[in-house]
Amino acid sequence: MTGRTAAKHEAETAGTAQAPVPDAGPVLPKRRRRVHPVIVIAAGAVLVVALTYMLPPFRNYQLATVGAYFCVTAGLTVLTGLNGQLSLGHGALMATGAYTLALTQNRWENLPLSFAMAVLVTTVVGAVIGLAAARLRGPYLAGLTLAVAIVVPSVTSTFDETFNSDQGLSVFLNPPPEQYPIEQWQAWLCWGAALVVVLLLALLVRGRFGRDLRAVRDDETAAKLAGINIARTQVLAFVVSAVCAGVSGALFAYLAQSVSPGAFPLTLSLFLVMAIVIGGLGSLFGALWGALLLVVLPALSQSVGEQTGSQRLEGNLALIVFGVVLVVVMLAAPGGLASIPSRMSRLIRRNR
Amino acid sequence: MSTDSQLKELALHDITVRFGGLTALDSVSLRVAPGRIVGVIGPNGAGKTTLFNVICGFVQPTSGSLTLDGSPWRPRPHHLSRLGIARTLQGVGQFSGMTVLENVMVGARHRHAESEALAALDRCGVARYADAHPGALPYAIRKRIELARALVAKPRILMLDEPAGGLDADEIAWLGALIKETGTTVLLVEHHMDLVMSVCDEILVLDFGKSIALGSPAEISANPKVTEAYLGAAA
Repeated sequence: MTGRTAAKHEAETAGTAQAPVPDAGPVLPKRRRRVHPVIVIAAGAVLVVALTYMLPPFRNYQLATVGAYFCVTAGLTVLTGLNGQLSLGHGALMATGAYTLALTQNRWENLPLSFAMAVLVTTVVGAVIGLAAARLRGPYLAGLTLAVAIVVPSVTSTFDETFNSDQGLSVFLNPPPEQYPIEQWQAWLCWGAALVVVLLLALLVRGRFGRDLRAVRDDETAAKLAGINIARTQVLAFVVSAVCAGVSGALFAYLAQSVSPGAFPLTLSLFLVMAIVIGGLGSLFGALWGALLLVVLPALSQSVGEQTGSQRLEGNLALIVFGVVLVVVMLAAPGGLASIPSRMSRLIRRNR
Repeated sequence: MSTDSQLKELALHDITVRFGGLTALDSVSLRVAPGRIVGVIGPNGAGKTTLFNVICGFVQPTSGSLTLDGSPWRPRPHHLSRLGIARTLQGVGQFSGMTVLENVMVGARHRHAESEALAALDRCGVARYADAHPGALPYAIRKRIELARALVAKPRILMLDEPAGGLDADEIAWLGALIKETGTTVLLVEHHMDLVMSVCDEILVLDFGKSIALGSPAEISANPKVTEAYLGAAA
């Protein structure tokens, strides 16, 4: 009762109540027109191609890795940030894509076919997990996906004739055209895939599907009343996200020319979640920041570890650095790195 | 004539809902004729929202049945908007991570969602908040946004659960006018008696899950059983 009278008072003091249509005279909203995703992606493509000509080979390889990570972080940020489903198992979905690529490639030696198979298989696996996930909420969903992250790598040792246990599989690849250095070729392929994936995600998310995703995240009852099928939306979101992880895993298999369960440990899944949180949950630009950090922070901490000469530090420093960065970013910009520009502009506007 | 045929007749037949030992609704029947404005009133805990939840498919009746246009009907929440039934929630169920405009667009199940949503917001006098986030707005504004989200679907049956809560006198007067001019079937749960009495064609009074009176506003206000339910038994 007191809450109501307080709210009423607030409304009155805001000067919004005038009969018959209280607060008449619509002030048409000044909406910032978003740049169309196709333009952003095209600009990104130009930038990446230019970069590949400027960077030395090892940096190009790292750039390729960022592209591969970008696929999975973009898919995960849509699932977790926009749809509110926390997945701790995306590393396992990457493994699924990676092994599918390896097995298909070694059998038919057709790279496009191998990528298509990776997409197909992760679609099916994503749908199965997604169907179970749609029945679970919060910590229970996290628990399920955590179990997936733990179980999938151990499948490789159970069926060791196919997956060759802990040693993993090597991937047979045709060499790229001779006029291009292999690292540059890798960067192009990874970023080509990443930009296609992100473009599709951006187009998907900006319309009705994106609104449905966020409506389900924010209030399931109200979403149902608006005609949204909650379970179908959640499963779709999971499948989309799983396919992104599958493409990412396939890219890593291609980059490393091998797959092994050790490449997709539980910590990878946790790193992915940390990366999208630091980048800014639900933002595709945030996913890019996250992908960048996934490559840069471990590389930095490794070089620091090498300089101090501490063997022990080398392995664990990346975790510590990631944790510290997470805390600092959350304190300074709770919306993640991607939210910093809008925060800055709001600050500037307020001080003007 | 053509608009009449689009309206739906909703009927509840002997609906009983039991939650464990509690009988929330006890054999309640109601026919909502197309185009009518039907109020559902009663003291707190009388079963008004449960009645709404039965119609929306959130609560399965223990016994009894529903019909829509004469044919048996088992409601499912996410099918309602397709059937032209829109409902507002008592505790403003809004999507806090979306702008006001996006909130209303979610309710628009057709193309041109954005312009339709803006028009609905304008109709409720809150278009200027289109880019704001609902969480930061006063309760009364959020109520009106909630109403806009229901209206944007252009429903044939509009179910309003305490739409006047938190609104001031001017806003309630406006709301009453709006309800009357929608021209659709309206089911209204409301505590604000002046509003109910002025807009409704018919009023159902619930008390402890039982239907104790059904009639025109004049009949209801003259009914001693209703006074008793609200004020307690006469000493």
